[in-house]
Amino acid sequence: MGLVQRVLEASGFPTVTLSWIPDLTRAVGVPRLAGIGYPDGRTLGRVGDADGQRAVLRATLELLESASGPGTYVELPFEWPETRAEALKATRDHPPPPIAQLLMKKPWLLPAFYRGEIPAGEGDGRGI
Amino acid sequence: MPIDSYRYLDFASRQVMKAWAAREKPGTIPFTPLPKPLRECTVALLSSAGVALRSDRPFDQEGERRNPWWGDPTFREIPLGTTEAEIKIYHLHISPRFGEADLDVVLPMRRLSELAAEGFVGRAARTHYSTMGYILDARELIEKTAPAIAERMRAEGVDAAALVPV
Repeated sequence: MGLVQRVLEASGFPTVTLSWIPDLTRAVGVPRLAGIGYPDGRTLGRVGDADGQRAVLRATLELLESASGPGTYVELPFEWPETRAEALKATRDHPPPPIAQLLMKKPWLLPAFYRGEIPAGEGDGRGI
Repeated sequence: MPIDSYRYLDFASRQVMKAWAAREKPGTIPFTPLPKPLRECTVALLSSAGVALRSDRPFDQEGERRNPWWGDPTFREIPLGTTEAEIKIYHLHISPRFGEADLDVVLPMRRLSELAAEGFVGRAARTHYSTMGYILDARELIEKTAPAIAERMRAEGVDAAALVPV
C-alpha cells in the first residue's frame, strides 16, 4: 500500500495513509502517514461505530493539509476499546492464509519469505 | 504511549512484518503539496481489503491457493454509495467479516460523504478503489495498477487520496 501511495503522490496527488501497522508503512517511505493502534481488518474502527470512524477519518484527512513535507508521521490518539485477547478472539475462526499453510509444511522456505523473495521452483510470481 | 504496530499479530506474522520493515530502503519520498484548502478538495479512497462489487470480477483467490507466493495485483472500482449487500471482500489474510458487516471500517465512503456534508472536505469522489493487500512481487502493482488508478482519479477530477491498508 505504501508503494502505491508513493506512485500516486509522484503522479501529482497529495496522499495520506491510515495504517494499523505504521512501523511497516513508514519503512516504505510515504509522504503522509497516520498510525492507529487498531487491529487488522477494521482500520477505521468498530463495526457500526459511525462517530468513531468519522473521527478517525477526519484526523487522517487533516494530515493532507497540516503536513509540511515528505515523511510526516502522526500517531492518532484513538484506543481500541477491547483487550488484545478479545480483539484476536473475533478473528479466530479465520483459516490461516495459503502461504502460512505452505510454510508449515516447508519451514525451510521461511527465510526466503522473511526476505520477501520467491524461492526458485515455488511459482513464477504469477497466478496460473 | 507509542503505538505497537505488531500488537494484534501472532508471533509468526509479527516476525515476518518486522523483517519486511527492516529490509525496506525508502530512498527519496515524493511529496505533492495540497493545491487548495481541504474544504474545496475532491477526495478519493483506496482500501487494500480486496473489496469488489458482486457484479464485478472477484480478486483471484484460486490463483493464490495454487501459488501461495502470488497475490492478485489488480484493482476494482467501487462507486460512491455502494452498500454492503453489493460487495464481497476477497482477502485470505484478514477476516472479511468486519468489512462485509460495515464497509466503512475498511472503505469509509459514508464517513467521507458526511465530512463533505459538514464542509470539512469539498466532496467525495464518484469512484473509490480497492486492491488486495497480499502482494509479494509488487512489480505489476507499481507499474500497472497504481498508474491506472491515478489515471482514473485524474479523469474524475480528484484532488487528493486517502489510503487504508487493512
